[in-house]
Amino acid sequence: MLKKLIILFTVLGGLAAGGLVTLLLVLFVARAWWSTPFEVGPFGGSPEQPIEYPHTIHAGSGVLLLSDGSPKLDGDGNELHGLGLDCTFCHRNVDKGESAGVPPVEQCIYCHKVINSDEDLPEVALLIKAWENKSPVVWERIHRLPDHVRFVHEAHIRYFTEPGNTMPSGEQAIVAANVCAVCHGDVGNMEEVKQVRSLKMGDCVDCHRDNGAPTDCTTCHY
Amino acid sequence: MATETINHKWGMVIDIDRCTGCQACVVACQAENNIPLNTEDRFRQRRAIEWIRVERYWEGEFPNIKARFIPILCQHCENAPCEPVCPVYATYHNNQGMNVQVYNRCVGTRYCANNCSYQVRFFNFWEPVWPESLKNQLNPDVTVRSRGIMEKCTFNIQRLRKAERVIEGQRGERITDENLKEGNFLPACVQACPTDTLIFGDWNDPSSKISNLKEKHFVDGGRGYKLLGDLGTQPNVIYLKKVDINAEHKVDAHA
Amino acid sequence: MGITRRQFLKWSGVSAMGAVVFNGCTTPEQELQVESPVNMPEDLVNGIDNWYATICRQEPEACGIIVRVVEGRAKKIEGNPDYPINRGKHSVRSEAGVQALYHPDRLSGPIYRDSRNDEFREISLEEAHNLVLNKLNVLNSEGQNDRALLITQPLRGHLAAIASEFSSGFGGRHMAFEALDKVALRKSLGRVFGQSRLPKFDIEHSTYLISFGADFLSSWVSPTNHSRAYGEFRQGHAQRGVHVQVDPRFSMSAANADEWLPVKPGSEGILAMSMIYVIIKDGLGDVAAADNLTGGQGHQALEIFSNNSAGVIEATGIDGARIEKIAHDFANSHHPLAIGGGSAGASANGSFNLDAIYSLNVLVNNLNKEGGVIFNPSPPISVLDNDSVSGAGMPSSYQDWKNISQPRVVMIRGANPIHGLPSSAGFSNILDNSEFIISYSSFMDETAEKADLIIPESNYLEDWGDDVPEPGPGYQVIGIQQPVVGRFHQGTVNFGDELIYYSRFLGLALDANLGLTEGSGFKELVEGSIRELWSKNSGSVRSSDFDAFRQGVLQRGGWWDVESGAKIEEMSSNLLDTSWPDVSFVGTGEYNLIPFLSNSLGDGNLAHLPWLQAAPDPLTSVVWNTWVEINSKKAEELDIIQGDILTVESPAGSLEAPAYIHPGVPPWVISMPIGQGHVSFGRYAENVGVNTISLLSEVEDKGSGSLAWAANKVSISKTGRHIDISKFEGNVPAFEVDEQRIIKIAPPESHDHKEHH
Repeated sequence: MLKKLIILFTVLGGLAAGGLVTLLLVLFVARAWWSTPFEVGPFGGSPEQPIEYPHTIHAGSGVLLLSDGSPKLDGDGNELHGLGLDCTFCHRNVDKGESAGVPPVEQCIYCHKVINSDEDLPEVALLIKAWENKSPVVWERIHRLPDHVRFVHEAHIRYFTEPGNTMPSGEQAIVAANVCAVCHGDVGNMEEVKQVRSLKMGDCVDCHRDNGAPTDCTTCHY
Repeated sequence: MATETINHKWGMVIDIDRCTGCQACVVACQAENNIPLNTEDRFRQRRAIEWIRVERYWEGEFPNIKARFIPILCQHCENAPCEPVCPVYATYHNNQGMNVQVYNRCVGTRYCANNCSYQVRFFNFWEPVWPESLKNQLNPDVTVRSRGIMEKCTFNIQRLRKAERVIEGQRGERITDENLKEGNFLPACVQACPTDTLIFGDWNDPSSKISNLKEKHFVDGGRGYKLLGDLGTQPNVIYLKKVDINAEHKVDAHA
Repeated sequence: MGITRRQFLKWSGVSAMGAVVFNGCTTPEQELQVESPVNMPEDLVNGIDNWYATICRQEPEACGIIVRVVEGRAKKIEGNPDYPINRGKHSVRSEAGVQALYHPDRLSGPIYRDSRNDEFREISLEEAHNLVLNKLNVLNSEGQNDRALLITQPLRGHLAAIASEFSSGFGGRHMAFEALDKVALRKSLGRVFGQSRLPKFDIEHSTYLISFGADFLSSWVSPTNHSRAYGEFRQGHAQRGVHVQVDPRFSMSAANADEWLPVKPGSEGILAMSMIYVIIKDGLGDVAAADNLTGGQGHQALEIFSNNSAGVIEATGIDGARIEKIAHDFANSHHPLAIGGGSAGASANGSFNLDAIYSLNVLVNNLNKEGGVIFNPSPPISVLDNDSVSGAGMPSSYQDWKNISQPRVVMIRGANPIHGLPSSAGFSNILDNSEFIISYSSFMDETAEKADLIIPESNYLEDWGDDVPEPGPGYQVIGIQQPVVGRFHQGTVNFGDELIYYSRFLGLALDANLGLTEGSGFKELVEGSIRELWSKNSGSVRSSDFDAFRQGVLQRGGWWDVESGAKIEEMSSNLLDTSWPDVSFVGTGEYNLIPFLSNSLGDGNLAHLPWLQAAPDPLTSVVWNTWVEINSKKAEELDIIQGDILTVESPAGSLEAPAYIHPGVPPWVISMPIGQGHVSFGRYAENVGVNTISLLSEVEDKGSGSLAWAANKVSISKTGRHIDISKFEGNVPAFEVDEQRIIKIAPPESHDHKEHH
């Protein structure tokens, strides 16, 4: 009798333990499903930035639009276009090292010392204030890879700008700035920058396969 | 610009006759690879992490005692016992002769560590912690392994990837012993080793120092051997044994 | 199921279990942000690393290093491949420099307390300066300038010049502190070789190296340089060098030797004399040198040291035939080299020992020859000439510390004498009775804890400096230290600039004597030495343009001229002291206590760095502790097992530490590492191990006044307590392998795995 009881309890205990383990496993997987790999994005996230920096004015070349969708006009009634700056004008390190880098405040001031510095533009005022206070600007990230992924901008830009290699669009990149849109989309025409590709591992691996790049795990994970 | 790369097969020669046991490799590895601080408790619990360690063996008895030092790191076996037991393929052999650990795949079963003949795999039993100011030292090129992850020697793959990118990709040159050294691309332990006990290179490059040493010492009477060679793990790390002049004298006496 | 992410988070947050299981799955906030720095210097680009050359100040050897800097943070230290001392290699000690830079317990700015019972409070640098200058002014006005005492570690380069100018200009005293001072060694080298600088021992090209007590691979004089040479000595040449270690302790160097002679402590010199006797008797050495050493009397003058005499055999514990063989092998080798130090120089007859040992080199005439003793020339800049072997640059000996006169104002930089001097020196009282103590320590160590005012110094990676390496490589070298990162703590100062500031305020002639102009500081002095090197137009960097030259020197980490060898200076009489030495010990215990400098922690100045605390001792693999090495047979006799806490008792005091059962240590010796036992030195050093120095009694080398730290006798007893000693050994479980049937024997060529398929 006692023996039977022991067996019964062991079985029940085992089931309970097994159940608990299963429950935790389910929780773990569910949690992972909802929260990874990106806290930001993948699509559509445009967090509020400390300074509303408009890529359209700086990097875009199209007609600038007002918030109601009508074109922005200058004093003479002409349509205003973006400056069409090269991406590498500010993200200088993109063809040299791992990270593209955000420009230092100093670099913004090179231009804004003169341009719009005396006009009543709240965002430029914020920038000038940061420069005067010598305080760094802390941007909210839009593109972020997890810590266990090593992505090197330089190698990708080098590959696509090499003669003979074409971008997924079929075009040949001439300068570094031509390549950026492959992953980042047409940032120059985004009012608010957002992530356009999933940048999950499948996305990376697909592109690597298409271009004959290595797909060994240690290409990116180390 | 060459985009196709020569297939490297990285490896190491460890000349025991040069090793003085100074531990420079051990600390160099910890500095380069964001290895968590090994506190006293971790040693007591036998959970200290040292991707490379210097083992010391006693031979003989006082006064004719000898101490032997052997630096031991992942042997990057061609036939690695750790690989087939991983249920999630978190460890495998890559095409460059390296046994690699993919942190994001690892689920922490620790089967690999149990099956490793060289005891060079280490499990993160805790989340690694550093005081805030010491985090400034962490190497941005190496993933900080979180709790529940197995880790091991990587041959400093972050430096090798950079070497490939800079030497082969940007300059379009071949990787040689010299330009690896010049660009600080050698594994940190090899770079640090004051006596040049550790020699790193490419087995597929016949002109590399390690290839020459292998050729020279894997002959009759040569000093070359493989650690636990009879297990058939086919390590990519080979050893050159210590010269014992006293032992040779003894042989002479018998002859 | 329609569960939203927010709900889910709430749900998992409810159970405590959830919090534990999922901890670590969230992304830390700072990883979701990216910072635009305010300024960006040209060489500081996001994500790109730079390597800058500078000088390591973690240990006296001062290797040339290159530091990897990413976004203004020092990440990794490696050896500078160009620097002549270490040629691209570095020691376990230099590696951890970045931990000193980013140590969580570093002092960030000046702190002061009104009385020594108070807590320290933060003050401004200006207030700190006023305090220092007030105190110095009081001494000045009362005519008691000689009661100002400046204590530093042994300094070199311009800092040495500034310190000596400052103290002599003010009329105070400057003492250089070396824990376990090497004064006996320095004086002996000066006597035997007639040099004023430490020579280079050319281990690399030597064919027969005999080391008496010098743990040259771990801690003695220039270990990285020695190790670099040792690898080549072993396998770099056609003939593999032979290394014999004469050592009362099984040191790291003894462990690497081909032959270890476990001599009785203090008898190293007797063994060396006996070797000299054999060499002269058998006509093997240089005849003129033999005459010079014995005053023309030949081996008869050394008869009492005959290798077969009962006296020698009893004193050394080594039999005559073995001494004869070693003497013959040594003298007959192509490039014999004898070095000595460590415990050999730290007995009551230390100077006798060292003189005899270094005379072996004179006898086989290897001076200034390949594989022998290579002398160093004077530095190219005269103000940097710092005679540390016979003159002004000599560190203070134990005797000096003991006989110190009571100062009123003490300034301490880079030295921790409270930890490093035995209590018999009475230094603690000296500090307690001083009116005002200023410390420049970056950390709250035992000595800083006694201070009234601490003005923390910047880290060496943040500041300028220059160095004349000691010993040099046999030619002129000037190492240049440059800041590789900005100051991590803005309140920290440069010690040189501090002394320059005080000198200006007090109206001392320092500026004029060192050629400083108003408004310039220590950095300009270093620049000045670069300019002086430029004007020489010789050596490793040459350029007609000064800026290009300066750039070249900074990139290479210094300047050197391989052509600039030293000549053998006129040697005065080298007459050997042929009287039998008095090998005496303090204490009545059964065992000789042989302390030794830790391989990773040095004399304890690096005990605050966690990497070094966790670096296993090469022989015992013990970490984070002090241990007592006891012979394994002896331990068995006494029923002591690994980890038993032992009381070690000397006339100076007693300590408790766990036993390490050591098969190599002689049964008559107890050996213990030095470096631990800090009561105050940051979180990683405090209350770790015990301070072995506190066991050392009041006994000095008669010839030099050095502390005879190997001349103590101790007794041991069990406390009955036991700990699990923290060590790396056994971390990897060892198990017996049953005898197995061999399936296949693979020949070594089967390395190519293809053959296996």
